[in-house]
Amino acid sequence: MAKPSTLRRQLLVWLVGPLAVLWSVSTVVDYDVANQFVTAAYDRSLLDSAIDIGRQVKVTDGVIRVDLPEVVLEMLVTGEPGKFYYLVTGPKGEYIAGHKGLPPPPDPETDKANYYDAEYLGLPVRIAALYLPLESGSMGSVLIQVAEGVTARADSARQIMIRMMLPQGLLILLAVLLVWYGVGRGLAPLTSLRREIASRSHRDLSALPEEQAPQEVRPLIRAMNGLLARLSQVLAAQQRFVADAAHQLRTPIAGIKTQTELALRQAQTGEAQAALRQLQTATEQTTRLVNQLLVLARAEPGAERGHRQQSLDLTELARETATEWVPRALSRNIDLGFDGSPNGTRIEGDPFLLKEMLNNLLDNAVRYTQPGGQVTARVSAEARKVALTVEDNGPGIAETEREQVFERFHRVLGTGADGCGLGLAIVREIAQSHGADVTLASGANGTGTAVRIAFPRAA
Amino acid sequence: MRILIVEDDPVLADGLTRSLRESDYAVDCVNDGGEADHVLAAQGYDLVILDLGLPRLDGFEVLRRLRRRGSRVPVLALTARDALDERVKGLDLGADDYLTKPFDLPELEARLRALIRRGQSGGGSVLAHGALALDTAGRRATLNGEPLDLSARELGVLEVLMHRSGRVVNKEQLADQLYGWDEEVGANAIEVYVHRLRRKLEPAGVTIRTIRGLGYLLEKPPHG
Repeated sequence: MAKPSTLRRQLLVWLVGPLAVLWSVSTVVDYDVANQFVTAAYDRSLLDSAIDIGRQVKVTDGVIRVDLPEVVLEMLVTGEPGKFYYLVTGPKGEYIAGHKGLPPPPDPETDKANYYDAEYLGLPVRIAALYLPLESGSMGSVLIQVAEGVTARADSARQIMIRMMLPQGLLILLAVLLVWYGVGRGLAPLTSLRREIASRSHRDLSALPEEQAPQEVRPLIRAMNGLLARLSQVLAAQQRFVADAAHQLRTPIAGIKTQTELALRQAQTGEAQAALRQLQTATEQTTRLVNQLLVLARAEPGAERGHRQQSLDLTELARETATEWVPRALSRNIDLGFDGSPNGTRIEGDPFLLKEMLNNLLDNAVRYTQPGGQVTARVSAEARKVALTVEDNGPGIAETEREQVFERFHRVLGTGADGCGLGLAIVREIAQSHGADVTLASGANGTGTAVRIAFPRAA
Repeated sequence: MRILIVEDDPVLADGLTRSLRESDYAVDCVNDGGEADHVLAAQGYDLVILDLGLPRLDGFEVLRRLRRRGSRVPVLALTARDALDERVKGLDLGADDYLTKPFDLPELEARLRALIRRGQSGGGSVLAHGALALDTAGRRATLNGEPLDLSARELGVLEVLMHRSGRVVNKEQLADQLYGWDEEVGANAIEVYVHRLRRKLEPAGVTIRTIRGLGYLLEKPPHG
């Protein structure tokens, strides 16, 4: 249910969370500040209007009058039109001019300008009140009150606040984008590391490159390289163990084999001979198995075999190996031949493994081909490859089985021959360790089997 | 003919000892390197079968000491290892041949015979192949006791084939053998000699097979 946490998401949560809180606090503060400035400015102009009205107050013959033509009044309106009110009250509180009923100042009879919030005609208003002494000082002061609706102020304050908030919001958005992009960029070395690891073959246990990685990623690479090193040590130890075990087995098998052959010579009865022949066959199978285990241990990834790699002529090696197989082939009445290319067949390889690969191919071919059949080993130089082919005109391998025969301990059913099923697995393992491709096809004329191994040609 | 077997595995040592005794060799057997060293220092043998992986003193050391004493007795090394460098190392120290375990008894016996023959070289010897015999010193061949009319080059080719009877001999090896007579022996010339040999030998049931792309092989006689 829970999505795995990503660095990006964590960073964003930690960045956007506090930024959002900060933004809200800043909104409140900004609004307050905007409000103060707006109030101060609007109050000032409201006071100016009061002073202007005060200038029109005249006393003629002891009667106070205010002369306010419509044009002048319009000029005084600073807030929303139609929401401007004024009231002039005489020294004794008598109405002189303006809108009746404007709430009186809470703090009467001061010299200073008096601002206050109140309600007029059911609407919130801001009022400036001013006591203005009349020209003939003995008569006292008139009270001038000027009021306007507050909507305009609130609008201005909101406008200012929005203009302050918008860049901040954009800044946060930009930060989010930068984090998104930056994390992606910052993690790029990890992505390339992942690609490097994903594209590796299971054979390659060499250290990962550390040079291009940023400082932060290096410990990870180093730890991984440490693991790879330990892994290849373990693999090498395991392979050494298999190799040692195989070597150890050879001496007792040699004992069994020698004793069996000796007993076979001395056996008096047919039954004893038959039993000894079975024993001989079993011994040979064991020998083959032990040899193949040894080869697998050597050909598998991690085996320490670098120093055995050398430049060699595949034609020469194949000719030599095929030669050794002739007596066995003849004893089964199989015509074993060789077809080599005089030059251009040098490759880089481990002669022991390559020879063992050929032994397996020839062994399979000779083993599964019927008496009177033909087996041919061929080495040919191609444009960039050197191809080794072992072809027979035996029973062949069904197309559906061609992939399986490369698996360990797989045996083609119904062949009746005594293989142990490691042969082609070994062939493929050795081919892979030499960077060669193995293909299995039918032989010439669509009968039999042709195993082709294409090696990269040595430079 | 006295043979010393140095092998620590009792089953293998016993098998080797009994089979060689059956072939009328006089056989002594020791099962560790130190003892082998003592015995070899005290007694003369015609041949030594030496396992390279021995307890106490390994086969390499036994061999090194043997050669340091100036002995030229032929040594057939046995090894359970197959690293090529080990073989080379064994041969460098003076082993004359090697076999990897497990081996076929007939193969071992053939190698023994070859080593003994080499040890006795100088006097020449008679190679036998069923009804066919070749006197390498007298340079003549007989079939069922009757002299065979062969040219020197045909005899040379036959000698190589008989030496490696049952195994493939390639044209280069035959050409090398004939190099002493001709300046250059082409592949065609060898085909001609083989063809002539075949004509003379086939009536007696001796077959020289052509192995495609590899060379020739003198088929083993039906019996022994």
